[in-house]
Amino acid sequence: MAAQPPPPPQWVLDLNSAPPSRPKNATYADPPGYTATSTSKQRSQSSKTPARQAPTPDEMDTLKMKKAWELAIAPAKQLPMNAIGMYMTGNTLQIFSIFMVFTLFKTPVLAVASIQRVFAPFETPGTSSRLLAVKAVYVLMNMLMLGLGIWKVNQMGLLPTTRSDWLAWEGERTWSERAVPREWL
Amino acid sequence: MRLHAASTLALAALLAPARAIFEDDAYHIDFHHALIGLPKRGINFQKPYAASKASLLYAVSHEGAIGAINPRDGELVWRQIASSGLNATGLLRTGEDQDTVVSALGNHVAAWSAADGRIVWETSVDGATVEDLELLEQEDGITNSDAKDVLTLLSDQGLKRLDGKTGREKWTFQDTSGDTPLQISTSPTTVYYIALHTQLLGGAKLRVTSLSPITGKKIDQYTLSSEGEIQAPEHVLFAGANTAAPLLAWTDKSNKVLKINIIGTKGVSTFNAPTKDAVEKIVLHAPSRVNSLVHFLVEYHTATAHSAEVFHVDLKKGAISKAYSLPELKGQGAFTTTSSDANVYFTRITTEEVIVVSSVSHGILGRWPVKRISTLAGAYPIHGASEVVMKGGSASAVRSAVLFSNGQWVLIRNGEIAWSRPEFLSRSVSAVWAGLPEEEALAHELEVEGHQDVLTAYIHRVNRHIRDLKHFPTWVKNIPNRVLGSLVGKASDSLENIQNDNFGFHKFVVLATAAGQLAALDVGSQGKQIWHVDLAQLAPETVFEAPTLKAYRGYIEIKDSASQKSLYINSTTGGLLSSGDIKTQLSIEPKGQTLISFDLVDGDLKGFLGADISTQPIWSFTPPNGEKITGYTARPTKDPVASIGRVLGDRRVLYKYLNPNLVLVTAVLESTRTASFYLLDSASGQLLHAISHEGVDVSRPMPSTISENWLSYSVVIDSHSDASSRGYQLVVAELFESPLPDDRGPLRASSNSSTVQPSAASGDVTKPFVMSQTYQIPELISHMTVTQTKQGITSRELLVTCPDSNSIIGIPRHVIDPRRPIGRDPTSQEQSEGLTKYMPFIPFDPKWHLNHKYEVAGVKEVITSESGLESTSLVLAHGFDVFGTRVAPSFAFDVLGKGFNKIQMLLTVAALFVGVLFAAPLVGRKQINGMWTMPS
Repeated sequence: MAAQPPPPPQWVLDLNSAPPSRPKNATYADPPGYTATSTSKQRSQSSKTPARQAPTPDEMDTLKMKKAWELAIAPAKQLPMNAIGMYMTGNTLQIFSIFMVFTLFKTPVLAVASIQRVFAPFETPGTSSRLLAVKAVYVLMNMLMLGLGIWKVNQMGLLPTTRSDWLAWEGERTWSERAVPREWL
Repeated sequence: MRLHAASTLALAALLAPARAIFEDDAYHIDFHHALIGLPKRGINFQKPYAASKASLLYAVSHEGAIGAINPRDGELVWRQIASSGLNATGLLRTGEDQDTVVSALGNHVAAWSAADGRIVWETSVDGATVEDLELLEQEDGITNSDAKDVLTLLSDQGLKRLDGKTGREKWTFQDTSGDTPLQISTSPTTVYYIALHTQLLGGAKLRVTSLSPITGKKIDQYTLSSEGEIQAPEHVLFAGANTAAPLLAWTDKSNKVLKINIIGTKGVSTFNAPTKDAVEKIVLHAPSRVNSLVHFLVEYHTATAHSAEVFHVDLKKGAISKAYSLPELKGQGAFTTTSSDANVYFTRITTEEVIVVSSVSHGILGRWPVKRISTLAGAYPIHGASEVVMKGGSASAVRSAVLFSNGQWVLIRNGEIAWSRPEFLSRSVSAVWAGLPEEEALAHELEVEGHQDVLTAYIHRVNRHIRDLKHFPTWVKNIPNRVLGSLVGKASDSLENIQNDNFGFHKFVVLATAAGQLAALDVGSQGKQIWHVDLAQLAPETVFEAPTLKAYRGYIEIKDSASQKSLYINSTTGGLLSSGDIKTQLSIEPKGQTLISFDLVDGDLKGFLGADISTQPIWSFTPPNGEKITGYTARPTKDPVASIGRVLGDRRVLYKYLNPNLVLVTAVLESTRTASFYLLDSASGQLLHAISHEGVDVSRPMPSTISENWLSYSVVIDSHSDASSRGYQLVVAELFESPLPDDRGPLRASSNSSTVQPSAASGDVTKPFVMSQTYQIPELISHMTVTQTKQGITSRELLVTCPDSNSIIGIPRHVIDPRRPIGRDPTSQEQSEGLTKYMPFIPFDPKWHLNHKYEVAGVKEVITSESGLESTSLVLAHGFDVFGTRVAPSFAFDVLGKGFNKIQMLLTVAALFVGVLFAAPLVGRKQINGMWTMPS
């Protein structure tokens, strides 16, 4: 059996019951931050004051474009930071530098792969054409990031760019003559 | 990409500097047969010092080495090899209760500490050889207990008495008569000098001169009329026996009559040989002790049998009488004499039994049947020495150190073979690697499969696997043993077993001696002798002078310069194969290549089309200025190259000049002391490179070797030379296709080429770019070779033989890299290649010595072979000693070391498993609980 809930505390009652309306002739001002409950009349009056105008689709588009540009440039902002990091880790093969290089490759690729999702919020009929340039810049920035990764990998000597890397695929010459000392025969 | 196979090479090279024989590997991976050569007559059991309980075996060999052998296990205690080189004449005398033994090797007389072989004194006579050597046992009837004085008989400087303690000369008796000096013999009171006085009409008289031992003055002289019998010094059978009555015995050419004279008297007793057959050899055995009974034994050998007669000497009457004779036995045998106090015992050793008789009567005191062992099959005893233990009138034990006719020196202890020393190996002239028969069979099967089409090859393989199933039960049965053996057993136990040869360390090496003895040793199991055959028995009609061996799949071909015919021997069993049984293969199978052979003909190196040299030569090389070709070295047929270029520090490539037809010709001009080395392409005869050295000591060896794209040789610049650096020099040259990196030279990337006509223009020659460096080395090198591995990935090592320190040294390749920067420190890129600054002098690091504590004497040749592991190369040195080992120039990177604790690893795995068993329910419970409780 559940007992009767106790009577609500005083502060609840105070809160629920509206305070007595301010006397009209009151000379003191309302405390700061207090808005008196407007009467229906007052309410009708306030609704008449002009509300902030809803932005036009054009404005919206401009805003969205601004935001989109910011997003597109963002990878470039990380670039100097990453470059310093890569430079500092040196060219030796270590677990940290390998992880860093790995993220350096992973991030741009993933970013480019999810490019539609990233820019979907800014996609409107008005912006779709202008977004192409933004996307291109975004891809370019990510490519810069990838380029940094490739530079780093090259510095580490992991790119097969020199002759020695392909040496194993080069064969020994076959000679059309074979000469041996006679006692070996 | 940088971590490419090519770069692992550089990595391996970087690791190499710390390479050495590991302490726990020494004496396990290597073996050493420390030989003294075939012992001469007069093997001797002797106590090394008067108070010693055990005796040692002393012997001097035909090769000019003296040695002391422990009769218990046959181990060499010490040995000394003639400084004048092997094959010097050698004499050895051991005295009773002496702590020194005296030897004469060539013209060098020395006394050695009998227990450890340290030198006591030495003296040498110039321009003469020592003909005989005796210890002066007694002087005026008194035994000299101190170091006994030494009597030496020199070929043309008479007789000398040397002080036994210092080797100083006491007196000299000069013989001016021009007789041939023969022997010295001593009696308690007199020294006898026996010479051969050659008659004008042929034949020789024996002249005996008696001398006073104290002053060396002549007392008396008489001649024995022996001109009827003696034609040459060999006909004198015996002179000496330092007994109360020294004997002089000789025989005629046909060995029919035996004449014996008691030295000091003029009477000659004559005895006829007991057999009707032609006697081939007569040997006289007399005790060598002063206080022994004067009894002696004469041994008669015919072609098929042997017998002996025992004679007694009556000292008072000066008469010799026959006491009894030992019956004639079929086959050959040997007799030995043992004196114990005054008693003399004769031991007769035949292939069947050992019989001991006393010199007094013919009653047999002891008889032991000899247990046969395979290494002595077909061999018979030649000579030896015995020790007899007498108990209650019969021989209770006898041990005989006997040399057998096949060169095995064996100790027979009461009929059992206690040990055998393969002394015949000291005369090895040729050695070759032969693979295990199973491997060879498998290789053959795989080759068959390789030549068939896919379906038949598949059926063939399935059939082969079904056939292999018959080995499966034994294999399964052996698993527990193998596992246990690899866990707890000593590593050597598992290595002993050839069947478990997972690493390919067990390879037979077949050695041939000059006399045609052939033996197979297993290098992987401490040089164990697998078989031993005497070619003289297998093929009696062929004569051997210097046989050369060649290994083929499953058999070995023996060729000799003396005979045109080749012999074929089964490499597994040593059995003779007729040439019809085998499929003759060519050792070199040119695949779509023109075969050219070359040889030294009349001092010129000439190349011929095909194997036939009777045709017109296609090229000929004559060194300029009248230089004489002394030898040539060709690149080995089996020389795998892992990488065709050298990767530089900046990751560019210097392409190696890889030409299988390279040959390095050594030529000398003695008048100007010039040695020249010419690098030829032996297919076209074109000269690729030439180096000349002035002021070379051309009498010293000039070994050279070629491997891969580099060559190496050593010369000795003598002290008269004007050159600023003199001494032993090692030159290393490396050949590249082009001096420029990333450039393949004039032939560019074409995958095939002909050296005869490399490009369309005729007469063109593609010369390699040669980099070379010379190093000063501390020692003379007599032979050099290069390690071999299966793929050639492992860096190579230059194996050099240093005869002066009796050692074999493996010089790492990176130490003698011709690309070492000169006069400056290496740049960081060069450092990454493993190059260090050039230093003109290479000290031989003690860690490079492959033979560690062994003294490997008289090495003539070192041969190397791949093992089953890429990291490891098998090495065998032969010539006098036989030494085998394994080397891993870039460390044993593909096999677990001995230090790896397998038990600990298994325990760790077991502990982890137990841990998992405990943890699994705990984790499971936690996961289930986690699913049922709210995350809240």
